[in-house]
Amino acid sequence: MKKEIWFGLSILAAVVISIFVFMPAPSQMTNGHLGLLMLGLVVVAIMMGFPTAFTLMGMGMMFAWFAFRSRAPDLAVQQTLDLMVQRTFSVMSNDVLISIPLFVFMGYLVERANLIEKLFKSLHLAMARVPGSLAVATVVTCAIFATATGIVGAVVTLMGLLALPAMLRAGYSTQLAAGAITAGGCLGILIPPSVMLIVYGATAGVSVVKLYAGAFFPGIMLATLYVAYIIVIAKLKPKMAPPLSAEDRVVPLPAYAKTISNSFGANVVRGLIAGLNGKLKLEVPARTLALQLFIALLPALVFTAAIGLTYRAVTAPIAVEANEVQEMGSGFAADEEEENLSGPAAPPAEVADAAKPDASAPATAAAAAAAPVAAAPAPATPPPAQASGERLNAPTGFWVTLAMGVAALAAFYAFFTFARLEIFKMLLSSFFPLAMLILAVLGTIVFGLATPTEAAAMGSMGGLLLAAAYRRLNVSVVRESLYLTAKTSAMVCWLFVGSSIFSAAFALLGGQELINQWVLSLDMTTIQFMVLSQVIIFLLGWPLEWTEIIVIFMPIFIPLLPHFGVDPLFFGLLVALNLQTAFLSPPVAMAAFYLKGVSPPHVTLNQIFLGMLPFMAIQVVALVLLYVFPAIGMWLPNVLYK
Amino acid sequence: MQKIFLFVDKVSTWLGHTFSWLMLVLTLMITWEVFSRYVLSNPHPWAFDVMMMLYGTVFMMAGAYTLSQNGHVRGDVLYGFFPPRLQAGLDLVLYFVFFIPGVFAMAWAGYFYAGESWAIKEISNITSDGPPIYPFKTVIPIAGGMLLIQGFVEIMRCVVCLNEGAWPSRKEDVEEVDVDKLKEMVHVSDEDISKLEAYIVTKESETK
Repeated sequence: MKKEIWFGLSILAAVVISIFVFMPAPSQMTNGHLGLLMLGLVVVAIMMGFPTAFTLMGMGMMFAWFAFRSRAPDLAVQQTLDLMVQRTFSVMSNDVLISIPLFVFMGYLVERANLIEKLFKSLHLAMARVPGSLAVATVVTCAIFATATGIVGAVVTLMGLLALPAMLRAGYSTQLAAGAITAGGCLGILIPPSVMLIVYGATAGVSVVKLYAGAFFPGIMLATLYVAYIIVIAKLKPKMAPPLSAEDRVVPLPAYAKTISNSFGANVVRGLIAGLNGKLKLEVPARTLALQLFIALLPALVFTAAIGLTYRAVTAPIAVEANEVQEMGSGFAADEEEENLSGPAAPPAEVADAAKPDASAPATAAAAAAAPVAAAPAPATPPPAQASGERLNAPTGFWVTLAMGVAALAAFYAFFTFARLEIFKMLLSSFFPLAMLILAVLGTIVFGLATPTEAAAMGSMGGLLLAAAYRRLNVSVVRESLYLTAKTSAMVCWLFVGSSIFSAAFALLGGQELINQWVLSLDMTTIQFMVLSQVIIFLLGWPLEWTEIIVIFMPIFIPLLPHFGVDPLFFGLLVALNLQTAFLSPPVAMAAFYLKGVSPPHVTLNQIFLGMLPFMAIQVVALVLLYVFPAIGMWLPNVLYK
Repeated sequence: MQKIFLFVDKVSTWLGHTFSWLMLVLTLMITWEVFSRYVLSNPHPWAFDVMMMLYGTVFMMAGAYTLSQNGHVRGDVLYGFFPPRLQAGLDLVLYFVFFIPGVFAMAWAGYFYAGESWAIKEISNITSDGPPIYPFKTVIPIAGGMLLIQGFVEIMRCVVCLNEGAWPSRKEDVEEVDVDKLKEMVHVSDEDISKLEAYIVTKESETK
């Protein structure tokens, strides 16, 4: 124990000493040097473990006073006080940060709605045939649940209770099991709606809407890479992730299903229709059969609705542009047009929105195709005369999508057995509500139907409804969620108060200019700068929390970006992906400790850390991929907002 | 002495708890406002200001509560390994170096800031004819003052810890990761975990 203390303290001492060695003599010190001194000292002060918000506040105040004193000694105290209170008030009335408590509240509510048990079970049954199915289901469950809640600790603990025993009993290697849980649990930090992106947006002055649109695909990509890694491992080393035994895959069937599949075969649609036709005088009430048939046909219904809406949208006469043209001249046709075309601005968004929640294969394909298809006709400005109500011909892409969807649906129903129907019903009550909540919140933000604040509030409302639907809504659940929300928001927002005073002092001292000059004098290329900055952030992720890294160090990096021609939005995506690694880097990764807290003593911390390493490597690969192919992140915001 | 600590803790916690209900108000208000705007076509110009005030009030007033629960983020990469006495000593010094001056200056400046606002009965300038903003600005000195009082209690805690070599206990409260509650939620008991342990051990001995 003693050794570690001396080691830690000597590091701190070494940092302080080296700061003073590199500083010029006090007589030659300029304000800029003071700024750098402040930056060095604050890192040391944070490492000493005092609450960071107040460290920043106190240090910012002192150095702001130094800065003001060098200008006008008489006014220095008053100016410092004014600066502090104004900065505080600006955080209090910050229209970006306001969505943090709302998203946090939504997360706590969703967590307490307790869907995770069902979600994991249904997903691992649905994926039983995939190699490494339990680990894959773990990552997917984590991705969805962590995205909706955003609470790393709770997700890792819950999965440690649910998935770890399941995987260990199925003979999975401890490392792979631990890695899948910890890596999956941290995905919620990246995949929007995440608090980290709001904090970055508020610090860097980048639109949260664009950040959300941009982070969506990198997040999905990271989750997909995790899944791919697990599948490859399971294929190459079946010992690490053996396939599920037959008895683990059995889905218990209700009585009616057994009778019907015994007499008509296992296919759901055929069996149910035959049963309804009365070929069979069973003791199964017709209502049950009709209800099951309706549930079984849901994918087809949703697909039809989506295709129908898409058809309406893509063939709708274009009048959005026409309206604008006509506004200049006369408004004679405007009323008429508004009447039959009140929707055209919305349908593309709505369609994609409506289609996406259905994550079964056909509709996802439709959704993916719907957005570009629907957007395609818009740029063509037709002459005003044409805009009077004729339906356009649907583009080829639409028919291709339709054909593919129909084929997928046909294949789906051909293999739709009663066992699959049971799995589908389980998914319907666990996976789809969450996916719908996430996509509804994201969709309204990304398509500009609501501000992030409004969407966050609606998400919280959705969380309340979800908890109510699962019979978990009571005063104590709401009360606990509210108290936790208050604590978490106070933690983040007070940190913002501190950092905003601190960065004001840093700017006043001119520390920023000194850093800018120094970086520019290094004459780096863009790639060198990007690699260097990401390495610095990666290293900072070891001793510091992501909140501290973003609020203290982003204001230093952001002003350098224009010089290197880097989009702050893109930089933000890289930083968000990069900080993911901080959650998995031993020995400080919190995720490992949460997992250790609920795992049997035989699972050691070292095994967990070892299991996390490959996933950390995947994160670095994802970071490189995003850097080499910026389109992964930038495509969606560019399509939507340009 | 311990009585005074716990009393201040209680006040901070009560304030934090009470004001946290404003989050629910905020959620319902925005939901209603969105409904009112899109469905009833009846937006309210004051909605934005009120949203801001609710959010700002909640987090400011929860500051002391969070401090009383030791909930403010710390860089604990080294701190976590220190023995309690060293932790308390460091905290004690830094409370006087950073916390007291910083928070006192904020509350002091906030007092005059709010006073000026009250004097002119300031209204929000986000919309014309906005709602009065001086009560909102008053939150700064109140929250700052409460934080300062809680800070003194924390300092006393450090002193107690320096004397006794262990941190005095805190009031119990909801925790973000309450393992027992989570276990109950997913129907896993400690027995299940020890059974799993036995299972792994037997299987490992089989393979060896």
